Amino acid sequence: MVVTTPALGGALRAIVGTEHLHEGGAPVDGAAPRWTAAPATIEQAAALVALAHDERLAVVPRGSGAALELGHPPTRVDLVLDTRRLDAVLEYNPDDLTVSVQAGCTAGALAARLAGRRQILPLDPPGWAARSLGGIAATQASGPLRQRYGTMRDLLLGVRFAQADGVLTWGGAKVVKSVSGYDVPKLMVGALGTLGVLLELTLRLHPAPDHEATWLASFRTPAHAQDCVAALLDSTVQTNRLEVLDGRVLAACSLPVSAAALAISIATVEPAVRAQEGLVKAIVQRAPGAVQTMGASFWKTYDRALAGFDGVTLRIGTVPARLVETLGAVQAVLPGAAVAGAAGLGALRALVTHADVSVLLPPLERLRATVGEVGGGVTVERAPRALRERLDPWGPVPAAALAVMRAIKTEFDPRGVLNPGRFVGRL
Amino acid sequence: MALSASVVAGLQHLLGPAGVVLTREGRLTYESDMLTLYKGMPDAVVLPTSTEEVQAVVRICREARVPVVPRGSGTGLIGGATAPQGGVMVSMTRMTRILELDLANRCATVQPGLINLWLTNAVRDRGWFFAPDPSSQMVSSIGGNVATNAGGPHCLKYGITTNHVLGLEMVIGTGEVVSVGGKAADRPGYDLTGTMVGNEGTFGLVTAITVRLLHLPEAVKTALASFASLVEASEAVSAIIAAGIIPAALEMLDDAMIGAVNAAVGKVYPDGAGAVLLIELDGPRAEVEAQAERVAAICRERQALMVTVARDETERALLWKGRKEAAGAVGRITAAYLLQDAVVPRSKLPQIMREMVAISKRHRLLFANVFHAGDGNLHPLICYDDRKPGELERAQQANEELLHACIALGGSVSGEHGIGMDKAKNLPLQYAEADLNFMFRLRRVFDPDGLMNPAKLLPSHPACGEGFRPARPTLPAGTWV
Ligand SMILES: Cc1cc2nc3c(=O)[nH]c(=O)nc-3n(C[C@H](O)[C@H](O)[C@H](O)COP(=O)(O)OP(=O)(O)OC[C@H]3O[C@@H](n4cnc5c(N)ncnc54)[C@H](O)[C@@H]3O)c2cc1C
Repeated sequence: MVVTTPALGGALRAIVGTEHLHEGGAPVDGAAPRWTAAPATIEQAAALVALAHDERLAVVPRGSGAALELGHPPTRVDLVLDTRRLDAVLEYNPDDLTVSVQAGCTAGALAARLAGRRQILPLDPPGWAARSLGGIAATQASGPLRQRYGTMRDLLLGVRFAQADGVLTWGGAKVVKSVSGYDVPKLMVGALGTLGVLLELTLRLHPAPDHEATWLASFRTPAHAQDCVAALLDSTVQTNRLEVLDGRVLAACSLPVSAAALAISIATVEPAVRAQEGLVKAIVQRAPGAVQTMGASFWKTYDRALAGFDGVTLRIGTVPARLVETLGAVQAVLPGAAVAGAAGLGALRALVTHADVSVLLPPLERLRATVGEVGGGVTVERAPRALRERLDPWGPVPAAALAVMRAIKTEFDPRGVLNPGRFVGRL
Repeated sequence: MALSASVVAGLQHLLGPAGVVLTREGRLTYESDMLTLYKGMPDAVVLPTSTEEVQAVVRICREARVPVVPRGSGTGLIGGATAPQGGVMVSMTRMTRILELDLANRCATVQPGLINLWLTNAVRDRGWFFAPDPSSQMVSSIGGNVATNAGGPHCLKYGITTNHVLGLEMVIGTGEVVSVGGKAADRPGYDLTGTMVGNEGTFGLVTAITVRLLHLPEAVKTALASFASLVEASEAVSAIIAAGIIPAALEMLDDAMIGAVNAAVGKVYPDGAGAVLLIELDGPRAEVEAQAERVAAICRERQALMVTVARDETERALLWKGRKEAAGAVGRITAAYLLQDAVVPRSKLPQIMREMVAISKRHRLLFANVFHAGDGNLHPLICYDDRKPGELERAQQANEELLHACIALGGSVSGEHGIGMDKAKNLPLQYAEADLNFMFRLRRVFDPDGLMNPAKLLPSHPACGEGFRPARPTLPAGTWV
């Protein structure tokens, strides 16, 4: 059965109430939605998805809107499902180090709540404080703390979501250790909402370290920086964050410019921070590099610098032993780019300002070829729509794996209700 | 169900006579895993040596619609590597190579049959280790660990198997070889690696695994604290976690286990204690020192009878010896037992321990405990005498009651052993029908014919229906066109 547009609007309004259903609404990645709905409960969210499913509407979930440019540009945006009213902390169990939140809750709001018990959710992608936790989960966004704590995939214990037909579904558990049934939370992390609209998350927390100290190590060449990373990884130093910064990122942080620098932090009880300081400095000097102690505000400055970059952002996945090649490859093909990221894991970001579509295409292909030698890839995390229309923002996925991904999407969203066409392989 | 002659011939042609076990005596060892309540003899056992051979086996079986059951070392505790519907069991014991060690990138790629501890043994002298350490690590395979998403004592700090798996190669139920993930960070697409870990062979067979290796810590300190009862020891566990300290391991043994261990390996734990906590801290030396003091203070505040810290490697090994020999020592207290693996939120440990004591009294059964207390993962051995009529049933009843109590406290039906045949029926306690339905459909994507380790992990298929959908909102009258 087909329903007229005004009637559909009425039905959507009936679910969320007049104030929370708008005709149109803010464009998503350049595409104007027909409606924007902001549910107050997960049941309302599920009812919206169920209606969209029956009426074959394309649903685009949104949280804070920080990462709406990830993926292929949307071809259809009928209903934007805005999760920002779903911002409650549902259940905080400090003695278990777990918390359950609604997906629209921001990382900053949760951090404020946890601070009273000296606990943290160690997820810090650029601009993290304003970002919704559902969005961080859907985009598998990460920041410097992944060096020690891993990413959302390591912290998400349980998840409630609305399937494409509106069925509310739960996967995982509310305890820190569970192997009962398939690991559905892992499937949902980084899936860009294409298998379900994430509505509630149960997360593992960590105790906040007593004390953190940060040093900036500057090197004359990227090779020295890489030697230093290798030596740190092959030592008993327990780094908390280990970021590489190239000259342009250093400049953006108003720091003295060098060919490459490492921001190294140690976080634990104070005597242990002091005890490791000597080791860190010795390793840096041996590389050889120069060490400078940074104030506590460094990581805020760094976060602001990365979040504030205006232009194209590329996520580069490589391995730690290929730092030099990767930095070199970026400089060779994109001479204006700034590069920073988790040096110990090979998870980097390249920031390209004033990108011109015609100029960017061939370099991206060449960069993908270089990183691809170790099985890595380059994802366009943010770029003008015009650019993403001309290239695959995700890059190649091996055929057999893509076939499985396609089969999963077809099983759970055969009608293409959830973020259609935006994920890898235009799923 | 006997195999057809053409299937047998196909397997023999592929693997040679030495690669196919057909005799009854030969197959008998494969009829169960370590949970011998569930028995099912495969019609044939095959021993492939490569991914290509595994794929060819799956293709032969698919064509003939014969079930395929993967098997690592058979140390599972869930009725997993057993063939209740017959078919072909694929043993990974000839696929034990380390394919690549890449210490510069902190990882290794191995074949699934490699024994867990062998990997650490191969890299330890260079300062590295593979973190997942199930107590069975001397015998269980990494493929089995991946398939069950195994945990272990040190998973409290380091995370379980899935947190250390970077990539997998799998022959899935469609007969395709799929490689997912890998050394490099941040692959685009669904996290198939994470989705496949813990599938218990129901998606197919893992044929290669890339794992993360970690650097050995600078210092390790092991302490033993004894308490009057399980409840007090549990309160100490909760207090340590609540104080923001995550030890590397936090293991508990109760008086029944202490007695058994002391009888088996000599007096390693104090007699007369109701429970002991084995606490291990590792990391930078100064951190370990500071945390050890805090932990000892917390134990004393919680009425510890005694707190001792191992002064050297010999003393440390002795403290662990009891824990490591516990499984073997059980034979001294009972001929048969059921092992429960449920989880409670860790702050609920004292409460579940009280409940456990009550259940044990109610059913007049001995419960012996040795478990990963730090994550709230219980492992009571519910002891029974299989020669006494009705005792097994009583033990099963007590087991179910305990499981229900754990779920009522917000827990999970399994912390690390998995589901297999044993707990499939319990999943509905933790999941609604819609949730199970989602998992059933996920399985079907990987194994459309239902031939991969059938009858495991999920209860029989819940109805695929509209029943779970929210009610359709009423549209204004007359607006249908
Ligand atoms: C004394 C003792 C202590 C134990 N301690 C722990 C512990 O601390 N933590 C813990 O988690 N477990 C523990 N276990 C349980 C068991 O050792 C683990 O589940 C282990 O991971 C099983 O490995 P395995 O090689 O023996 O697998 P198996 O028992 O052979 O198989 C287990 C399951 O995985 C499947 N499987 C095996 N290999 C593959 C493959 N290559 N591809 C696909 N599927 C496969 C099988 O079909 C089966 O369903 C213990 C067991 C014993 C006997």
